[in-house]
Amino acid sequence: MNGKGAGFVIGLIVGIILVMVLIKMANKDRRIKTEYDERQEKIRGKAYKYAFYTMIYYQVILIGLSFAELSLPIDRYVLECFGIFLSCTVLGGYCVWHDVYWGLNNDHRRYYIVFGVCLFLNLIPVIVPAIKGEFAGNGLSGAPMLNLMVIFMMVVLLAELGIKHLIDKKTEDGED
Amino acid sequence: MKNLRLKAARAGMDLSQEDLAKLCGVSRQTISAIEKGDYNPTINLCIAICKALNKTLDELFWE
Repeated sequence: MNGKGAGFVIGLIVGIILVMVLIKMANKDRRIKTEYDERQEKIRGKAYKYAFYTMIYYQVILIGLSFAELSLPIDRYVLECFGIFLSCTVLGGYCVWHDVYWGLNNDHRRYYIVFGVCLFLNLIPVIVPAIKGEFAGNGLSGAPMLNLMVIFMMVVLLAELGIKHLIDKKTEDGED
Repeated sequence: MKNLRLKAARAGMDLSQEDLAKLCGVSRQTISAIEKGDYNPTINLCIAICKALNKTLDELFWE
């Protein structure tokens, strides 16, 4: 395994452990598993279906690209990861829009703090080299693409949560 | 079809959607969706709502 591969695996393991700890802290009952009610489970099922379709269509496009033998300025693993982040964004986006993003045992305030921490941790590898000017000349292969994708996903979801919150505030309790 | 009887029963007990949701172990949006007629609850949830509001299934859900 080369340095980049080892860094990816270590980053992934640290990320998973960190997210599990943060989720445990963010849930009201200190459990990792989020609880949903019957309506939420039903709509989340649809969200998973759309995320699955997104992944399938994306993979078809990738297969087409590999048949076309185009040389892209991005590593193959980045393209594969983009599909995962794209389908996760579809899943989260659909859930937010249909009021099933927050589980019954989620503490919204703590979750926003977790989002903030995750966003900050992913901004560090983007901002620091940008300030030092280390991106110049490296092109896309030199950029921390995984961090950029996480930032993209989180910004989309946070923007959608904000819009949904504003809509819900107008129609809160009963008169909706 | 809107479930106005559920809404009236909830208001009659001076409960908000959030209060009723907590009593039934569901989200506020689920109670809102039932009242608006956007979601048909399972019999288990119907019973939980009836118990929370001290009503019978007929009174709240039978047409």
